[in-house]
Amino acid sequence: MSTLNVSNISDGTTSVGTGYVVNGSAKAWVNLNQVGTISIFDSFNVSGITDSGTGLTDIGLSSSMSNTGFALSITRQDTSVNNDSTGFDGLNQKTVSNIRFVSIENATLSDSNNAHCIVQGDLA
Amino acid sequence: MTHLWERLLEAKSRLKPVQSKYRVLFEDPATPDEPAKVLVPDPNWMAAALEGDILPPIDTYQRDRLVPDGEPKEHPYAEPIGAMTEEEAIEYLVMKDIDPAVWRDYKGNRTIMKIVPVEMIPSDRSFRNAWRIAQ
Repeated sequence: MSTLNVSNISDGTTSVGTGYVVNGSAKAWVNLNQVGTISIFDSFNVSGITDSGTGLTDIGLSSSMSNTGFALSITRQDTSVNNDSTGFDGLNQKTVSNIRFVSIENATLSDSNNAHCIVQGDLA
Repeated sequence: MTHLWERLLEAKSRLKPVQSKYRVLFEDPATPDEPAKVLVPDPNWMAAALEGDILPPIDTYQRDRLVPDGEPKEHPYAEPIGAMTEEEAIEYLVMKDIDPAVWRDYKGNRTIMKIVPVEMIPSDRSFRNAWRIAQ
């Protein structure tokens, strides 16, 4: 693998610092199915997922984050007219290498057949 | 040494994902009211484990568990290890993603962890929140 060492990237008109590109990239992402035998459609920088009960999935990161101040974007596919929501369990379940994904439908934990999690922040 | 994240990025562009035929069933003795959990290896991670020269030694992750937030970690720049078999990769994943209280420290007489073929995991979600490992 070769490396380009440049401080800016330009299209000839506008330029951006490579630091913005690197620091702004998602550090991990996963698209998973919580229904039936839980599985991963596709991912990056994820070592495994753990089915921890209905609507609860732990996501393990291969390359850890620097600290727990990283940001998460968590969503699930809406397949009904019910009120869906998603989030993460912040009670000891968000660490530099693990995130607990929480999936809810009508105020009840519920599995989703298409759930997404994106991690942004600083790598360790 | 390139960062682990960069090695994973390069591996994803080159390697075909590998769906493991194994799953890890476990119960956490610290939370006896929670159901048995099922750990599923990530297909891209498994491809990297089988390929070799991408993932760091498992002991670097274990030492990094003790490093406070924000302090430098050892595993991103550790010298990668060679290719693993699928069975070795599962054992590595157990030590990485499951608390040592389950796979190392538990002294009780219940079986709280099993590595099983994927066909043994029920796809029927009935009573999901009451699953236990058969003794």
